[in-house]
Amino acid sequence: MTKIGRRQIYFFLACIAPVGKLVFLPAQLADVAKNDLLFPAAMQYLIQTAAVFCVLLLAKRGMNFFELLANTFGKIAARVLITVYAAFLFFAALLPLLEQKLFVQSVFYDTLPSLVAFAPFFLFTAYLCSKPLASYGRTWDILGPLAIVGFAGILAFSFGSADFAALLPVGAVGFGGIWKSAVSAFSWFFDAALLLPLLGKFDYEKGMAWKGALFYLAGGAAVLLFLAVFYGIFQETAVNQLFAFSTTSKYFSGITMLGRIDYIFIFTLGLVMAFYVTLPLQGGIECLLLAYGRKKYLPTALGVAVSAAFLTTVLLLDYRFGDVLKAITGAAAWIFPVFASALPALMLLLRRERRETA
Amino acid sequence: MKNITGSLKESTDALKKLLPAEDILTFSFSSAEGLAFTVVFADAITNKEVLGDQVIRPLMHYEGKPAAEEIGKCIVSPELRTEKELEKLSREVLAGNPVLLWEGMDEAVIVGTKLVFVRAISEPSTDVAVKGPREGFIEDVKINTSLVRRRLKTGELRIEMIEVGRRSKTVVALCYLDGTSVKRNVEEIKRKLNKIDIDIVPDSSYLTHFLASRPYSLVKQVGTTEKPDIFCAKIAEGRVGLIVDGSPIALTAPYLLIEDFQSSEDYFVPPYRATFTRLLRLFALLVAIYLPAFYVAAQLFKLQLFPIKLLLTISGSIRDIPFSPSLEMLLVLLVLEVLNEASIRMPKYVGMALSVVGALVLGETAVSAGFVSTPAIIIIAFSGIGLYAVPNLIEQTSVLRLVMLLVAGSVGTYGIILVTAFVILYLVTTENMGVPLIAPFSPMVGRDLRDSLVKYNLGSLQKRPGTLKSPNKRRLR
Amino acid sequence: MKLRKFIQTIPMKIYVLLLAIVLFAFFSNDFGLVDIQKTAIILAAGIDKTENGFSLTAQIAVPKGSDRTTGGTSSVEIEAEGETVSDCISLIFSKTGWVPKLVFCDLIVLGEDAVKEDVIAYLNYFLRNEYMPDSCLLAVCEGKANELIASKSAIDDASSLAIEKLFSDAAVKSGKVVTNTLKDFAIGYYGVSGSGYLPFIRMTDQQGEQSDSSSGGGSGGSGGGDGGEMQKIYSAEETAIFQNGKMVGLLPREQTLAFSLLQGNVFTGTFNAEEDGKPVTLTVVRNKGGVSLNVKEAPMAELSLEVTVRLCCRGITAPIEDIASDRISGEIAASAKAALDGYVEGLWRTCKESGCDLFNLNRMLYRSSLKKYSVWKDSLLRSAKAKIETNVKSMK
Repeated sequence: MTKIGRRQIYFFLACIAPVGKLVFLPAQLADVAKNDLLFPAAMQYLIQTAAVFCVLLLAKRGMNFFELLANTFGKIAARVLITVYAAFLFFAALLPLLEQKLFVQSVFYDTLPSLVAFAPFFLFTAYLCSKPLASYGRTWDILGPLAIVGFAGILAFSFGSADFAALLPVGAVGFGGIWKSAVSAFSWFFDAALLLPLLGKFDYEKGMAWKGALFYLAGGAAVLLFLAVFYGIFQETAVNQLFAFSTTSKYFSGITMLGRIDYIFIFTLGLVMAFYVTLPLQGGIECLLLAYGRKKYLPTALGVAVSAAFLTTVLLLDYRFGDVLKAITGAAAWIFPVFASALPALMLLLRRERRETA
Repeated sequence: MKNITGSLKESTDALKKLLPAEDILTFSFSSAEGLAFTVVFADAITNKEVLGDQVIRPLMHYEGKPAAEEIGKCIVSPELRTEKELEKLSREVLAGNPVLLWEGMDEAVIVGTKLVFVRAISEPSTDVAVKGPREGFIEDVKINTSLVRRRLKTGELRIEMIEVGRRSKTVVALCYLDGTSVKRNVEEIKRKLNKIDIDIVPDSSYLTHFLASRPYSLVKQVGTTEKPDIFCAKIAEGRVGLIVDGSPIALTAPYLLIEDFQSSEDYFVPPYRATFTRLLRLFALLVAIYLPAFYVAAQLFKLQLFPIKLLLTISGSIRDIPFSPSLEMLLVLLVLEVLNEASIRMPKYVGMALSVVGALVLGETAVSAGFVSTPAIIIIAFSGIGLYAVPNLIEQTSVLRLVMLLVAGSVGTYGIILVTAFVILYLVTTENMGVPLIAPFSPMVGRDLRDSLVKYNLGSLQKRPGTLKSPNKRRLR
Repeated sequence: MKLRKFIQTIPMKIYVLLLAIVLFAFFSNDFGLVDIQKTAIILAAGIDKTENGFSLTAQIAVPKGSDRTTGGTSSVEIEAEGETVSDCISLIFSKTGWVPKLVFCDLIVLGEDAVKEDVIAYLNYFLRNEYMPDSCLLAVCEGKANELIASKSAIDDASSLAIEKLFSDAAVKSGKVVTNTLKDFAIGYYGVSGSGYLPFIRMTDQQGEQSDSSSGGGSGGSGGGDGGEMQKIYSAEETAIFQNGKMVGLLPREQTLAFSLLQGNVFTGTFNAEEDGKPVTLTVVRNKGGVSLNVKEAPMAELSLEVTVRLCCRGITAPIEDIASDRISGEIAASAKAALDGYVEGLWRTCKESGCDLFNLNRMLYRSSLKKYSVWKDSLLRSAKAKIETNVKSMK
């Protein structure tokens, strides 16, 4: 279990990565872009697809993330850079984690539970982080089909309730509004950054970059379809629907008879999401391991330490989510395109030939 | 290692010293020419009648030299061996094969007159098939290997006997198809078996611990079966089989979790029916594990999981129950487990009475008395039935069900999701002999999915499971 | 060596610790969460305006217990007054000790006084509450919502369940009633049209019937069962129309039918025409309806309606051959067309007079042309004229 299969990478790009965009993002997009919410999302997807393409091209060189950097800048500089990158991934993990916490509180409980109810999630992250990163490939084989089932179920239940005319008129908020919305959405688009620590753990095949980009776009198309359904259902009140994928299916007429059977699909996507939100954490830990060596108990120790740190952070930020969201989607939003889009593209400029000393 | 000497007395005494037990008997006699013989044998496990007819009576008329080769010709037995080492001779005596010693010998003769008490071959109670073969393994390794040999009449079938257990010296038959099984797997199993240093091996289950890569694993890592047809089918797919003397349960490795969702009958019924029953088994298993947990979590944390009318019915039923929903469910579950355990262990006639007591007294009366609610009984009954849809996984699923229930009662629905995530992660990272436990789902092996939860027509299953990496890929031409 | 052994046993120690934590949590069973036995399952809420703020009456389902021999749902009504809806909910908690849960609240009824002001002031609590299903039905009632919720229904154990029957799919298809949910009302309110509609419930006494004191919810709160209280029946054939959250008009039953027909929702609904001065009832077996907006020079709303009908009942004696036929004569068709024209005209007039953009003309214009919308947005309804086209076909 040392390598991730190519199919598993495609599963991640097409099925797992979109799940992270189905909670807060739709409401966030609708807040500024309103009925034009598809455009900022599409813009983000195009940018991120290009970044995914670049990362998969980097895989052609057969080097891992650290080796790529060390090959050009030397080991010490590579260590510094990769540590900064790990810090970015930990930072990127904050929003999905807080999102996950609020989602859990809202969807899995009838009344606001105490914080303790969410704490076991960090046991899971600690356990997950202690596993080799390549094990993710295996989980994607299971989670990919689950995500498809969950997503298709929710969409099937929601489709009939949507009024797609609500997406008109096109361009109501103007380019300025669309751009502003796109900027606020940067924080949700860092999938290419999640792939970087996986470099060297999967083998490149001919055309993989194109295939990967297409799979990522296919996932993006599914997200855009969901956004259209979401706005078609909630229209002007979309901004109030914070946990998007758990809200659209409840208007299905069969629910009156059978109860909330849509929860089967919501919980399924919730399960997939639990894995997705830990990816940045595990990516960050992998970066540190690449830079400083993989000693026997180090992954476990780091997993426990990082999970404990995030548990504390989530507890501290519990009542400041609004501020955190404002900061991450505001001034700090620019960190994301730098690390998740520009950096993979710039890395293509790194030395191609393997240096003896690297 | 001490060897026998030419002196009959010395050798007999040495052997008796090694086997001082009272049931180790000696019988001395002389030939017509006055050559002294002694037979050392274990009482009760040696066929004395055959010993007398085939060994002692012919030798009483023996007139040749005191050489093993000559003496062997006089004995009327198809199973003869010679041996010098006292240690090995003593082992044979303990296995039920008498040892023949005589004055001036250079080697002793071992005669295969073991007395074997075996039960008749019958249908195993844990793996009943409506259609298909009904034979089951019994406790004798030789008969079991003969059942295998009868189904695989090929020289490629290799059966290697390995002794395991310092004291029990249990014979383990390692069965595989040469050229179909992965050599590395055969060697690894041999290595693991030879490494085992244990006192006794009373049953094949003892070996599973030593063959597993994760000995403390919740999920099993070695396949089990009581049916020779299944055993042969697994060997034919490229697995390695182990038949342990004294155990009717044979082992196969590498093991895939999906094996336990497949029944031999699936191959004797139309594929759509087989697919349906396999999916049904999975559904039953999921219901068995999750239903009590979700029922409790819904009552405690997420009422919306019930439709309103069902909620009001449940709410009415539990109104006067003195326990919290989680404690109530735990109690009912524990009662079910106790009943289950007791009814298996008890003599059959008491078991019947126990069923009545369990169903009527504990069930109905407990509801009428207001100790537990009717829905809780229904939920546990449904879960209990579901558990038996996949009988080979009962140990694992009942533990998982309990864990799910405890987590549901403490953290709620999200706890169930998290434990599920843990289980998924655990399963995908478990391998044995380099074969992932939950293949062909993870890693996904497209071709193998044709005989997983879905069953294709036999004509579509031309190749052996790719997961097992058999060197002989094609099974259907 | 010792350290290695210690490290090797860490996973087992962690498992034991986790088990201990889970068992502790399981048996203590308290994260401040509210289980089924501590919960007040609110089936419906009635909101009224009072001098000091709001009055909220919650109809709470009461389980009948395990020994029950009959079906149905018992309920109890609790009333609470406060400055906000949230105050009222808290008061219900303190009055009963049950934690009110709105997850099963399927009906919110607003009292007549309440809808004179912007109702979002009443509803925003429910819109904000993530545990409240915004798919719940919303309605206005004659008089006080408190009285409606606390009344004894003649047809069901709980008034809310009887009222919900009025809003069944079959009732909506009959065209006699229109329904709206909290979500859709909010969409209308926050949309560019700012309009909305809600069914208007009237409650009347069931003649000759009196409830016995044991039926329904029992005691407590304002809705306790007094012996001899008259049982009620409910109707919702009228429709309250809203602009910017305030009720601005009431559609009578004919206009409610016209509104349903224009939405194309009606199947097996009936209406009356005339034949030789005597009433004839027609059943709608097919209905196409639509409202479109044409803004070339002046805005023109095109209200088109096409119904295929069959004869349901004639007020004259007829031979058996006539009864066997579903077809309508040209005279009946003309009368039906005139009747429907009248209903639709009346509906349009009511909307114009009240200023309610019931047909979402502003939204249509906004979606089709931002430019024209910016020109007409403040005067569209005032300036718009209606072109009404009705077509009545006989079932062949």
